[in-house]
Amino acid sequence: MRKKFVSLLMAGALTAGMLTGCSSGGGSGSGSEGESASSDGDYDLTLYSINTTDPEFDDWLANVEEATGLNINVIAAPTDSDTRQQKITTILSTGDSSVDIIEINDEMSSAFKNSGWLEGLNDTVMTEDIVDYFAQGYVENMITDNEGNIIGVPGYTGYLAFWVNQEIMDEAGITSIDTKEDFMKYMEAVSGDGRYGYGGSWEKTYVFNEIAQFVNMFGGDYFDWTLDENKEAIQFLYDMVQNGQTPIDQIADKYEQMNPKAIDGKYGCWFYWGLGPEYETADMLGEDKIHMAMVPDFSGNGERYIFTDSWNYVLNSASENKEAAVKFLQYMADEGGMEASYQYFDRYPARTDVAEKIVPDTDPAKEIYSRYATECTVSGRPMLPQTMEFITDMGTIFQSCMQGNISVDEFCTSAQELVEKYSA
Amino acid sequence: MAVSKKSMKWIPWILILPVVIIRGFTTLYPILVTIKNSFYDIKILAGVDEFVGLANYVNVFKDAKVQTSVVFTVIFVVVSMFFHILLGVALAMILNMKFRGRRFLRTIVLIPWAMPTVVAGMAAKWAFNNDYGLINDFIRRFFSDFQFSWLINTGSARAAVIAVDLWKDLPFFAILVLSGLQFISEDIYEAAKVDGANGIQSFFRITLPLIAKNVITLCIPFTLWRLTSFDLVYAMTSGGPGEDTALIAYRITTEAFTNLNIGYAATLAVMLFLVMALFSFINMRFISKISD
Repeated sequence: MRKKFVSLLMAGALTAGMLTGCSSGGGSGSGSEGESASSDGDYDLTLYSINTTDPEFDDWLANVEEATGLNINVIAAPTDSDTRQQKITTILSTGDSSVDIIEINDEMSSAFKNSGWLEGLNDTVMTEDIVDYFAQGYVENMITDNEGNIIGVPGYTGYLAFWVNQEIMDEAGITSIDTKEDFMKYMEAVSGDGRYGYGGSWEKTYVFNEIAQFVNMFGGDYFDWTLDENKEAIQFLYDMVQNGQTPIDQIADKYEQMNPKAIDGKYGCWFYWGLGPEYETADMLGEDKIHMAMVPDFSGNGERYIFTDSWNYVLNSASENKEAAVKFLQYMADEGGMEASYQYFDRYPARTDVAEKIVPDTDPAKEIYSRYATECTVSGRPMLPQTMEFITDMGTIFQSCMQGNISVDEFCTSAQELVEKYSA
Repeated sequence: MAVSKKSMKWIPWILILPVVIIRGFTTLYPILVTIKNSFYDIKILAGVDEFVGLANYVNVFKDAKVQTSVVFTVIFVVVSMFFHILLGVALAMILNMKFRGRRFLRTIVLIPWAMPTVVAGMAAKWAFNNDYGLINDFIRRFFSDFQFSWLINTGSARAAVIAVDLWKDLPFFAILVLSGLQFISEDIYEAAKVDGANGIQSFFRITLPLIAKNVITLCIPFTLWRLTSFDLVYAMTSGGPGEDTALIAYRITTEAFTNLNIGYAATLAVMLFLVMALFSFINMRFISKISD
């Protein structure tokens, strides 16, 4: 009898322990999704941020709270891109009002902008007096919905910049790569002995940046593969592979594989996002080493094209704190917010007027970024709502084409079919 | 206080009830929801959620990406399991031999298995890199002009994925086979030796028959793990070149969590579930047959 009683008692304790564990686990589960950076109970709004791991995040938050007078609750977004997109999609699609402001990238902007999940900001934040200071191509392509509503505030400006290795250029006796002819001359002069005139990142989810860049440079349209210019761009890349001017090996490369090769002098030029911290770490960043250059004019009539990207602050339509959220967004779109992002996160200001004013002349990116903004046609990357499927499928057929498994004509036909499939 | 026999009958049920509830919520409920979703076209990004009956199941057979995944999954499972058995038994035999440092070898041989698959995959991506990889670096010590990009050609990329899978999981398989070997009495070998059997005969007449059931039993979870393997490919090749190394579990993960095509992913998951259930059923029937 005593044994039975003890057994029952232990089983009861075990059950209670398990259930307690379940409930407390549930509680901490919500916390583990994102730690609050603020600890007070009453918040004016909740921000779902990708920057919480930045060492200066707390200083940035203090700056924003002081400038806006808002008490901001911060939830850390997952660092894994797929998990992040799932969570944000779930929040927005279910009308979850627990998050007011979310930071989303271009892929998510393309997917969400026509969904009705995001609040239009034309009358409150992205008003006519300031919207012209942002890259118009980006605003139109990436953060404007079908009805003309601007749904985001770009948090910074990044370019898919044209990078060159000055040491290789000097060795080849080439002073600038300004036209298609210059580019070809450079390819021929420096390719060989394990070195390539052009290098890239052609992994299937990365390569669409470069396909679209070359299509633009040839005057084509990424969404119309019946154009001769598009075919010419793909043929150009294919010929470079065949002529040993760019390696086929790079179809396995993401940026983390491409950059060591660039640093080691295996590539004469390439396209890459950002300000080149990897090159700086390797002590290879500088005018006499690796540096950004103006994008070549392949058209011959002075037209240069460049892509820009950003993470945008967007307002959840289901938010119950829209007044506070608008106040936050107004600050982020204003000089103060952009200066804070530049100061604490090294994010280059998205507004040209603010960049001109607050970025010191000693910043090596300032001159070339100003030139990109003024001399190039700046646009957002060509994306469709089913973003990653479209990107991956295009990358897959591109790899197949570069390996010679399908012809350039077959690639163009398939690419057009994909555009039609994912545009429908 | 007396406890009646009738009420005692309920005590086991009450005791296991929490586990049944938890298991029902965490396993049965997701399975039922997945089966239900497989009959719907759910594309979260496109805002689509509609009943389509068996359309998803029909589309699976028309989907070239899935067909490529199925082909590679079959190759991956068959080749990997073949070498698991062949090399696993060989490694187990070596580890069962009496030599100095045997315990040390048994310990270090498990190191790859202890490594997270994602980490192994990321390391392997670099290891097979033509310029910086240790594989080509090693080969170049013998053939200085050797140049080969393993992960850009279908055949070599698939071989590389299988090789890394073997490198990682083979030791665990071998250790489990070793546990079976250790149950074979030395007396049997000595008796066979007295009867004039040589080493090869002892292996085929004694060792292999006595560990066969153990090996076949091990094949069930190891095959199922291969069928559901996604992390190695995710970290090592992202399914490339093209879709040529995309295992079916990787395809399901991509459809579900990257493309957010929940209905189609559920269909693929249900089909994989049925294949795994069928495989387990056949294997268990086979085991019971050889036990008889």
